[in-house]
Amino acid sequence: MHSPPPPPPSPEPRAAQRLATDPDTVERDLVKLVLTVVELLRQLMERQAIHRVEGGDLTEDQEERVGLTLMLLHDRMEELCARYDLRLEDLNLDLGPLGTLLPPAS
Amino acid sequence: MTDTDTDTPTDTPTDTDIVYAYAVLRRTPEAARAVADLRGVAGEPIRLLEFADGTTDGTPGLAAAVGPVPAADFDEAPLKANLEDLSWLEATARAHHAVVAPLTGRGIALLPLRLVTVYRDEDRVRQALDARRDDFLPLLDRVTGHVELGVKIYAAPDSTPPEQKTDQETGQGTDQRTGQETAHGKRLGIGRAYLAGIRRRKRTAEDSWHAATRSASHITETAGALAADRVAHRPQSGDLAGPVPGPNVSNDAYLVPENSVDDFRTSVLAAAEKFPGVQVEVTGPWAPYSFALPPEPTP
Repeated sequence: MHSPPPPPPSPEPRAAQRLATDPDTVERDLVKLVLTVVELLRQLMERQAIHRVEGGDLTEDQEERVGLTLMLLHDRMEELCARYDLRLEDLNLDLGPLGTLLPPAS
Repeated sequence: MTDTDTDTPTDTPTDTDIVYAYAVLRRTPEAARAVADLRGVAGEPIRLLEFADGTTDGTPGLAAAVGPVPAADFDEAPLKANLEDLSWLEATARAHHAVVAPLTGRGIALLPLRLVTVYRDEDRVRQALDARRDDFLPLLDRVTGHVELGVKIYAAPDSTPPEQKTDQETGQGTDQRTGQETAHGKRLGIGRAYLAGIRRRKRTAEDSWHAATRSASHITETAGALAADRVAHRPQSGDLAGPVPGPNVSNDAYLVPENSVDDFRTSVLAAAEKFPGVQVEVTGPWAPYSFALPPEPTP
């Protein structure tokens, strides 16, 4: 039964974040949400690929193809973000006490 | 902070006040004077409620700092709804803290109770707390003359913990591999070069995480030597606590003698300077929130 230390008075109280549903921004918000999910999958694939490479169970050709695919995906993500005036760092979801869906921008 | 130690009526709804208990302390004239100025979470006046008698050898008895709060907010059902309202919770936590902190500030030893510890009436407070008096007494003795300080240690922003902690734990020799591999990887194709880049970044991030955890354990040692006790809390993740300098490696609370607070702060910050890869934040002094709670009586 450990209660955390008292919260140090934070400068400004943060309102709970909600998914904005303003009609003017709904398309961009939706795109942002979709891209966030795609980015999550891309990062998971990347992690899996690194895992396989480090495990040494890929041939050089396979490594080359996997690497190239991941690189293209990454580039394509950046293009898509740019089209909607987003940055890759903008793609994230605040899960409150659980932290963020994606690790902080790398 | 979101614990709900509720003991609210379930049978008959009532519109009379509910009793909110803030802290357990010794029943001294000084404490009685100090609480008289305070206002609680509902703006209510605070008073001392005696629940355990003193001993014949002159030890003062125990009391709880309590205040009446409206049933409309603190009865079981509305409380449940309120607890899900982050801004209500935040305001209540601050108000709770505003009762406890001034008492600690005056050097009054106390055991803060959990946020939203409410009882149906004063008799219930007496009953519940008196049943735990044998827990409270030694804890009060322990915190007397002490305050709580928080020490949070952060790694550099780009540090990440390794995914599996096996041979990496030793944390040495990793630098060497970094440069080598790309060198002997004959004619890296563009795809493999991309992967190599990712791996290099990952390794660097892990190395700085290891450096940070090593530094953190040195700092923890320094801090521990100056404190009467330590409680390790779960490192914070997410940004509930606002912007942070990097991933939180450790989040500890220390029980520090009142007269060595400055010494503690200086020594810990000096240790933080000495060891690389970390940022350290010392907070407090706080009321001894982390050292106040005996194990709940298990049913």
